[in-house]
Amino acid sequence: MVNKVILIGRLTADPELRATNGGQHVANLRVATNTYGGKDDEGNRKEHTEFHQLVVFGRQAEVVGEYLRKGRLIFCDGRLQTRTWDDAEGKKHWSTEILVDNLQMLGPKPGEAA
Amino acid sequence: MASLNKVLLMGRLTRDPEMRYTPSGQPVSSFSIATNRYTVGNDGEKKEFTDYHNIVAWNIGKRNLAEQVAQYLHKGSLVYVEGRLQTRSWEGQDGQKRRTTEVIANDVQFLEPRQNGGRPAGAGATDELPAMAEETARDVDPDEIPF
Repeated sequence: MVNKVILIGRLTADPELRATNGGQHVANLRVATNTYGGKDDEGNRKEHTEFHQLVVFGRQAEVVGEYLRKGRLIFCDGRLQTRTWDDAEGKKHWSTEILVDNLQMLGPKPGEAA
Repeated sequence: MASLNKVLLMGRLTRDPEMRYTPSGQPVSSFSIATNRYTVGNDGEKKEFTDYHNIVAWNIGKRNLAEQVAQYLHKGSLVYVEGRLQTRSWEGQDGQKRRTTEVIANDVQFLEPRQNGGRPAGAGATDELPAMAEETARDVDPDEIPF
C-alpha cells in the first residue's frame, strides 16, 4: 500500500515543541503551499493557498525546534494520518496531519540576504 | 516561489463511489480508500493499522475522471490516486465550524482488470473478493471513518 505526501512550502508559525510521556520529542509545524489555482477573468494566474499540519518525531523534532522559524521554506515527505478526539463538551473533532519521514530546510535562513 | 502539494496513495475503496453534480452541472465523484501499514512493537509483535482517506475526483480536461470513477470503481477496488491535499470548512447544523481534509485527485488508476462492464468478479458478494479486500472491508468500523 502507498500513503505518501510530498510538500514544499513555508512555515506560517514557529514550531511548537513538546515531549511525549515516554520522553520522545514531538514538533508540530504549520506549512502553507501555494499552487496554481487557475486563471481569473482577465487571464491572470491565480494561486491557491493550502495549510498543512505536520508532526515530526524524535531527533528530527529537536533539530526542527532549534533551526526552523516562521517563514522558512522546507521540503518534506511523510504519510497522511487522521485522528479524532473528544473535546470538553464531548464533541468529536477530526484532524488530518502529515507524519513526517524526511524534512529538509530550503533557501536562506530568515534574516540572511537571499 | 517553489511550492509543492502532492499526495500518492494506493489502497482499496471502503464503499462505492458517490457521484453528484454541482449547480453548474459539473459531475464530481467522492470515495474513500483505506491504506494499511505495519509496525513491529517492542514485544516483536507485528501490528496492523489502517488509515482512511477521502478522495474527490473532478473531470480533468478531456478525461471524464468523475464519471469513470463512478462507473468502474466499487467497494473493495484497488486504486492508485495522485493528487493534492485540500482542507475546507463549513458550519454544522449546531452552528459549529467543522473542517475536513480531502485529496483532490489529478490521476486515478484502476489496478484491477475490469470485467462485465466494470464490475469486478464477485462484486456484491464480499466473500468472493480477493483476501485483501475482504480484510479491509472487515476492518472498517463505520464510527471510525472520518466523514
